[in-house]
Amino acid sequence: MSHQLRLATEDDLAAMMELEKASFGNDSWSKANMRAELKAPHTYYFVAFVDQTIVGYAGLSKVSSSASADIQTIAVSDSHRRAGIGRQLMEKLIDQASKLGAKEVYLEVREDKPAPQALYQKLGFVGIDRRENYYQPDGVAAIVMRLAISLKNKSEPVVLGIETSCDETGIGIVRGTTLLANVISSSMDQHARFGGVVPEIAARAHLEALDSTLQKALHDAGISINEVDAIAVTNGPGLAGALMVGVGAAKALSVAIDKPIYAVNHLVAHVAVDVLERGKLETPTVALLVSGGHTSLLLVRDLLNDVELLGETIDDAAGEAFDKIARVLGLSYPGGPEIDRVAKDGDPKAIRFPRGLTLPKDMEKNRYNFSFSGLKTAVARHVELAESKGEDISISDVAASFREAVVDVLVTKAISACQDNNVPRLILGGGVVANSRLREVATQRCQEAGIELRIPAFSLCTDNGAMIASLAAQKIMAGVGPSELDFGVYSTLPV
Amino acid sequence: MTQVLLAIDTSSGTAVAVLVDGVVVSETYEPDTMQHAEQIGLQIQKALVAAGKKSSDVTAVAVGLGPGPFTGLRVGIAAAKMFAEGVGAAILGVGSLDAIAFTKELSEPTLVLTDARRSEVFFGLYQGKSQAGSPKALLGPGVKKQSDLEAELKSSGQSYEIVSGSISAAALGLLALAQLSEGKANSSIVANYLRAPDAVPAKGKKVSG
Repeated sequence: MSHQLRLATEDDLAAMMELEKASFGNDSWSKANMRAELKAPHTYYFVAFVDQTIVGYAGLSKVSSSASADIQTIAVSDSHRRAGIGRQLMEKLIDQASKLGAKEVYLEVREDKPAPQALYQKLGFVGIDRRENYYQPDGVAAIVMRLAISLKNKSEPVVLGIETSCDETGIGIVRGTTLLANVISSSMDQHARFGGVVPEIAARAHLEALDSTLQKALHDAGISINEVDAIAVTNGPGLAGALMVGVGAAKALSVAIDKPIYAVNHLVAHVAVDVLERGKLETPTVALLVSGGHTSLLLVRDLLNDVELLGETIDDAAGEAFDKIARVLGLSYPGGPEIDRVAKDGDPKAIRFPRGLTLPKDMEKNRYNFSFSGLKTAVARHVELAESKGEDISISDVAASFREAVVDVLVTKAISACQDNNVPRLILGGGVVANSRLREVATQRCQEAGIELRIPAFSLCTDNGAMIASLAAQKIMAGVGPSELDFGVYSTLPV
Repeated sequence: MTQVLLAIDTSSGTAVAVLVDGVVVSETYEPDTMQHAEQIGLQIQKALVAAGKKSSDVTAVAVGLGPGPFTGLRVGIAAAKMFAEGVGAAILGVGSLDAIAFTKELSEPTLVLTDARRSEVFFGLYQGKSQAGSPKALLGPGVKKQSDLEAELKSSGQSYEIVSGSISAAALGLLALAQLSEGKANSSIVANYLRAPDAVPAKGKKVSG
């Protein structure tokens, strides 16, 4: 028999006291206290009942002059745990607080009770303080938690997203699924003479670019910082030192404007960007993310709750391979566009370079993983051998053949991932999506396989802050609570 | 109008203080030198709560520009910049070693040292203070092996006493206000790394072999 909720009356006092004593023992309120709570003009108590038996209760306090409400207590009978009664009671109280005009709800929870803490977090509460020896006589500390009601289920939150996981300082602003600003400041030129991204140089550049990038984003969006409802930031995966600049910036901004913060996964955000162009993400979808830092295949059944990493590169990222081969061919950095340019006049079938992890034995263990180091060595050997023999090589042919090998593996594995999982959609993301041959081959083969291909605008494919903001906006609209303020950065953060 | 200064330094641990009209009203310090990104938001929030001030009350932000280990140092500077942007406050940059020197007498030449890792120290040699209390630097800030530095100072006949220690955000805030009062406030917020990034330009094209 399922339970129901109703407002508590004084007639429920005896049953509530029984439950109170069973639930809290030492900490129990007295009957007089409980009666006063029930009768007070500013409190709202609800009971959960099955048949006529009271199996749980919870109370809210909201003084009319205050913009905040407090959860006074909540108890669920031992025999009715795990039936979602606690959650429903909490939701009832939050709803009541919202109806009474509260902007935030506070509660205290025993530090030694992880289960209720986890429930409150799921409901969007965030720990903001700790009170030593709060629960007597046990001497247990209380964790004070807060829920910002203004954001819960907000239909079109304005979110400012900060991205600093690699060499682009990105700050983007969205309103719900609408893109308001997407400003990117890249330190790419500073890495050129090193032939690849230097983490320390990238981190320094982020710090220098922060203020001007923020100002431009706000200007482009035509809003003031106080119109922002939430801050979002990449906390991984990426270069740790670079990530920390963004996280430090985002946390300070969140505290400064007193708005919640959402830590966001960079890879999932690459997929979330699609909602900015289409209003929603069609799922399930496979995502192929290819950049200088990543080569990953994701299976996205649900953007917020079910993203699976199918595979990734086991050595170089595809973008890195382009950079290294560009160097072998005497081309400049970044290698992708240069190889693309030179390859236009070349024959992609001139040299059959190896396709990493595509042999039958590899496909058993590494069906969706990538490897580009063997290919890189093969190209280098080819060039060196020709040079040692004094033969002329066609840089165009080498570039075209190399590019073909990379693209072939990327698209073949992405399409297998779609077919194996019965997913009729593929979305591309990451800077390597700028590669013309990748777009061409993906378009052609997806068409042949009856797979719908999504290629977001290039400014949304490369690393950017709008995608970070977009994913956080999706979370907010789904009622997901913000991150705690003490989250760290994770260079290998899993999806 | 009440002046509320938020002072931040992450050149060693995570240090935050709030000064109201020149008086230190709260100060927090998290000594862990590997927790800047985790701690920075919490510590700012804590210091403000302890001072009984809202973010929007803050009229100026002072920040330690280093020298200090880069990764942590940047977290504080990034936070200070964005906090100032967020509330529309002025921002003041202060040398982190100067903030340590500020707390010392400085009647004798005083060598301030902090850990620069890689067997080196960040250093500054100070003697005397301005009327407002700003330390007068004789040398530095710089980065060297401590033994080399001391050998150089001795050979040049320079006497000194060594002080080291962690940086107090309260001292940093007071120094920022002293500098402001004597017209020497620094609003150019550039990290003082004292070391170039570790990176070597790409060598030739040989990849295989």
